[in-house]
Amino acid sequence: MESFRQAFELLFPPDRELLQIIGVTLRMSFFSTLISCLTGLPLGALIGSESFRGKSLIKKLIHTLMGLPPVVAGLIVYSLFTHYGPFGRLNMLFTVRVMVVAQVMLITPVVIGLTASFVESTSKPVIETARGLGFSGFKTARLCIGEGRSSLFSVVLNAFGRSIAEVGAVSIVGGNIQWKTRVMTTAIMLETNKGKFSFALALGIILLIIAFAVNALASFIVKENADG
Amino acid sequence: MVEIKNLKKRYGERTVLDIPGLRFKDGETVALAGANGSGKTTLLKILAGVTKASGGSFNVPERVLYMPQNSYAFRGDALRNITISGADRSKALELLEKLELTHLAAEKAKSLSGGELQRLSLCRVLSKKCELLILDEPTSACDTKGAGLVIRAIKDYQNNCGCTVIMSTHSPLLALNAADRLIILNGGKIESDGAPQKTLAEPGTQWAKSFAAGWKI
Repeated sequence: MESFRQAFELLFPPDRELLQIIGVTLRMSFFSTLISCLTGLPLGALIGSESFRGKSLIKKLIHTLMGLPPVVAGLIVYSLFTHYGPFGRLNMLFTVRVMVVAQVMLITPVVIGLTASFVESTSKPVIETARGLGFSGFKTARLCIGEGRSSLFSVVLNAFGRSIAEVGAVSIVGGNIQWKTRVMTTAIMLETNKGKFSFALALGIILLIIAFAVNALASFIVKENADG
Repeated sequence: MVEIKNLKKRYGERTVLDIPGLRFKDGETVALAGANGSGKTTLLKILAGVTKASGGSFNVPERVLYMPQNSYAFRGDALRNITISGADRSKALELLEKLELTHLAAEKAKSLSGGELQRLSLCRVLSKKCELLILDEPTSACDTKGAGLVIRAIKDYQNNCGCTVIMSTHSPLLALNAADRLIILNGGKIESDGAPQKTLAEPGTQWAKSFAAGWKI
């Protein structure tokens, strides 16, 4: 109950730092989900709808990357963007942008894998009809996405959910810097380490409320645009 | 001309198609008949490039159109389901009229009945030009009137573009009224091949005889 009271107090009136943390969290989650979906949905649809040499190997690779530990992804991105790394000159380490890069590395395989599985299992009639009409692989993949958009929407939400809940990679590459790269999850981790469990739980409750609000809004938009 | 040589399709140890040689002349309309699992759909899918053969070779023209057995309704209205092929609106409306679906043009395609959807699916295929038209049971969901409309539309299309038509069917009406040639398949092999009336009258093998007996109308 103490956590609920603290969560309420943080939100009404809204705490300035909390608002900044929520802003960074949403910005990071939105852009990483957007980039992952823009690349992952078409790639997944292509892999699911086309037959080609090496498809099985690519699918195994994607399934392996779907289970990539966030800390490992964080370390890889850290080593790429550290001062002595290949992208060190970009000076992106400990910024929200590099946190997005780490998130994209984690989420894109999930989007590709789930989309490919969905297209393979449910889009057979679409693929057959499209091939029968002589459509290109790209047009067929685009049709698969369009026809299964309600189902693929759950893939997008899954990606967003993973992004907003991730802590390992973003704390390594973002550094959990106050007023700069601190997000909800890294803030929860920090408060837990400080022994402020009920405050950490209050942040957790707010994170859940944000996730619920985003899901509800997105579901509403999709429902409004659905035309069967 | 469509030519098939030693075409085989296997699923594991099971051979579902085994055709040593077969030719389809330009402009010919061929009906494939046979019991379920006789290899009709497999043959059509291989020719359409939807399924890969396990062995043998075949050649088809550059422009091939294929209508699957199970018609699919894309999102949106019936008109969009035709223009999705790249056809313009006037062509789509013309086809809808020919298949007596004009009154459903603005209806959601997913709300159409099986027979209406099958005719819509045919409209979509016929909205494009081709050299080889492959149809998998194009009248299976249609009533007698609908089947008549489908037969007339296929004939008109074939007369206009001079393409070769290969279709599978369980309908004597379609085979006798639309095809120049009837091929009876059994267990992936050709049992009988010739003009529809003649094939049904003189089926050749014992199996084809019993099959033809069921088709006598």
